[in-house]
Amino acid sequence: MLFFSYFKELVGREVTVELKNDLAIRGTLHSVDQYLNIKLENTRVVDQDKYPHMMSVRNCFIRGSVVRYVQLPPDGVDVELLHDATRREARGG
Amino acid sequence: MSWAGPEDTFLSTSLATYLDKKLLVLLRDGRKLLGLLRSFDQFANVVLEGACERVIVGDLYCDIPLGLYVIRGENVVLIGELELDKEELPPHMTLVPEAEIKRAQKAERDATDLKGSMRKRMEFLDFD
Repeated sequence: MLFFSYFKELVGREVTVELKNDLAIRGTLHSVDQYLNIKLENTRVVDQDKYPHMMSVRNCFIRGSVVRYVQLPPDGVDVELLHDATRREARGG
Repeated sequence: MSWAGPEDTFLSTSLATYLDKKLLVLLRDGRKLLGLLRSFDQFANVVLEGACERVIVGDLYCDIPLGLYVIRGENVVLIGELELDKEELPPHMTLVPEAEIKRAQKAERDATDLKGSMRKRMEFLDFD
């Protein structure tokens, strides 16, 4: 639940999602769910020439199970807050 | 993927907003399927109507018709909405018939296999 809550805070920010098949997509985080499925808007593929089929895709749904990384803006992370929330979860769990 | 309530319509990860739209579905095996979304569930199982597989080899491509497809969610990588007013592919790409794209796919596969077997032979020689 921690990462779900955390991503909900990031809705509206620009992120780059790198998938397990090496495809990387930059876009605005539209929504996230309990499986960490992600919906991105205003998407652009990072290496467009390598993925011509993605040319007209401007918003997409990404299955949580295929995400390798979610790259965040450095000012998007309040590390202290995250750290505290994690310690609380660890204590409670 | 939750079933959206009315208050969730604008901030939901539900695929409901994609219903009846023309979508690109990327599968784990690298295939690209296009079609109209008719149904989905919480596992991202999906029903595509008028589905076709877009095979791309270099600058050549071909759309192979498949009909009505049910895709098991575990194979789904990404579901993208195709913007109707934008070009789906770069202009330098050429549409070719199915027989030709199959030939091109085979040639690409053979080249990769050859590369793999050459590498295996080199490995035996133990170059760094």
